[in-house]
Amino acid sequence: MTGAVYDRGYRPYEGARGGRTAARTALWRATVRRALGLRRPWRQKVAPFVLLAIVTVPAIVNVGVKYLTRNTPASDLDFITYRDYVGVSNALLVFVALTAPDIVCPDRRQRVLPLIFARPLRGVDYVAAKVGAMFTILFAFSFLPQVVLFVGQMLVSNDGALTYLRDNAEVLWQVPAAVALLALFYAVIGVAIASLTTRRIIAGASIVGLFLITSIVSAVLVGPTEEVREGNGFGPPATTEDGGFIGPDGQSFEPGTGPQKTDTYFVVRTEPTAAPLINVPALPLILRDVVFLGEVDPDGPMSGLDNGALYAAGVYALWVGAGLVLLLRRYHEVER
Amino acid sequence: MSAASPLLRTRGLTKRYPEVTAVDDLDVEVPRGRVGLVGANGAGKTTLFRMMLGLSLPTSGHLEVVGIDVGDDPIGVRARVGFMPEHDCLPLDQTAADVVATFGEMSGLPARAARQRASDVLDLVGLDEARFRPIAGFSTGMRQRAKLAQALVADPEVVLLDEPTAGLDPMGREEMLALVARLGTFGISVLLATHLLDDVQQVCDHVVMLDAGRLVVAGGTGSLLETTGTLVLDVGAEHTAIIPALAGRGLAVAEVGGLLEVEVPDEAGLDVVRDVVAELGLPLHRMSTRLTSLDDVFLTRATPSGEGPVGADPALPEAGGQR
Repeated sequence: MTGAVYDRGYRPYEGARGGRTAARTALWRATVRRALGLRRPWRQKVAPFVLLAIVTVPAIVNVGVKYLTRNTPASDLDFITYRDYVGVSNALLVFVALTAPDIVCPDRRQRVLPLIFARPLRGVDYVAAKVGAMFTILFAFSFLPQVVLFVGQMLVSNDGALTYLRDNAEVLWQVPAAVALLALFYAVIGVAIASLTTRRIIAGASIVGLFLITSIVSAVLVGPTEEVREGNGFGPPATTEDGGFIGPDGQSFEPGTGPQKTDTYFVVRTEPTAAPLINVPALPLILRDVVFLGEVDPDGPMSGLDNGALYAAGVYALWVGAGLVLLLRRYHEVER
Repeated sequence: MSAASPLLRTRGLTKRYPEVTAVDDLDVEVPRGRVGLVGANGAGKTTLFRMMLGLSLPTSGHLEVVGIDVGDDPIGVRARVGFMPEHDCLPLDQTAADVVATFGEMSGLPARAARQRASDVLDLVGLDEARFRPIAGFSTGMRQRAKLAQALVADPEVVLLDEPTAGLDPMGREEMLALVARLGTFGISVLLATHLLDDVQQVCDHVVMLDAGRLVVAGGTGSLLETTGTLVLDVGAEHTAIIPALAGRGLAVAEVGGLLEVEVPDEAGLDVVRDVVAELGLPLHRMSTRLTSLDDVFLTRATPSGEGPVGADPALPEAGGQR
């Protein structure tokens, strides 16, 4: 190659080249970096790492308390169970509303999509990379605190780490399965909604709106799950029209039993309802209960509903399927 | 796929939208090299690019890019072709180095190689100092360079440049064209879409002209110019001696805006002009093929609607673009 002294010339690339998989992986990696704020100003790093801190604190507190009470009977008390800890924080939802728009809206707004699709990949690869990146972060941020909780509890357990591991072996699959269901759901819904607009603020507001409105509508339809009634000073009636009650300190009683002198008591609602299925942000939590308990939460409003778990799985599949179909349509790279 | 296969070959290529036919029964074979794709806005240049990348399906017809049937293997084409769109298309809040490296990885390069090549091509396009700055702070000229860099990062066989000089000031335009001209020496073929015939004339050795989606003419830039052969001559303000001298040697001369335009039928005519200027002892400030000469080709060849398109002129050597 000839050229002036200042001309460093051009070196052709002779090395290996990947195909679609490499392209998809590269886009996924770039998106994960972007969502975590890596190689971006510090402002962009605040949201992800504040979220990580928020979701990890309960695990650290629980482990710390266990450590301090390790030689007392109180060590059997759990502030938080592995089941409760899946989807514990609404911070995760805020994070979805902030991040999902940020990883797709600018691509359309700044017209980067034609450049991306000039690469050896297809629309489905774009969708896989973007949803995959969101899934990865949501999974990691939900799973890492669980690891902290598990390892911490194992180490401070009175019975020894191995015994704790043996006694709690089932959470080793329950936690990743429940967390994966949660992460996939939020990732698909978040990215799908964000794909509809080029404005991040509108996308974020739409995601929050969907979560808020459906949870409010669901809560209204479910109604109060328990009801406070005035006692007559001689305890609750032997039977109630609802068939049972819960004492003021939370324990439940068969009709005709329980404390005899109380001024107030709670009547358990026994009519099951499917209304919780409307609550979009809480839908993965119903499946979480199915994963951990093999059934919907027996203390929840869906308890007693025939095929409740099946309905939940169906609604979940509908949302995820609709989200993916929408995404594939929005990112179909070939114009007919 | 092989170096021998043409940059682009189309047969009966047609793209119809509900309102307009963007590309109309196009038959063309474009050799490798630096090729200008010329036409007014709406002539079908961008549509042709999109079809070449497999991003737009032809209504009918067939096209091959670097020997690969786009319909069969669009991914294979995209792996070998770099694309610089006309519009702004870079993520604004990232640095040029990050953006170009990421696109390199997405074209299949391993991460380390992509970073290295991003650095190399940004150097090549003159953005070595600015590469760690966010693109949002770039001027139009710098953005155009960054766009070119991302098209080159994976060492493509062909780059498709859509109006690369759009929005550039005269100096920026010259620099961009100089860069494009250099690409040929790197073994990268260029398909340069533009509505500015000047651009093509300056850097391309082959030209394809489109008008309303139809082929006007295709051939070597040199051979197309020979068909008009108008020289623009700047020998200072004093024309009294040279006009009769040139006319006396059998060349048609006209004075246009203080410059002379000389009809030169062949290579020998150029020597005649040079000799006459030398004999008269005039300063030769400029002697160039008239910049609008491709316009003339365009105007004389563009057919009124209703007639069939002019096919690739058999008199023009197809390989005229090869260096």
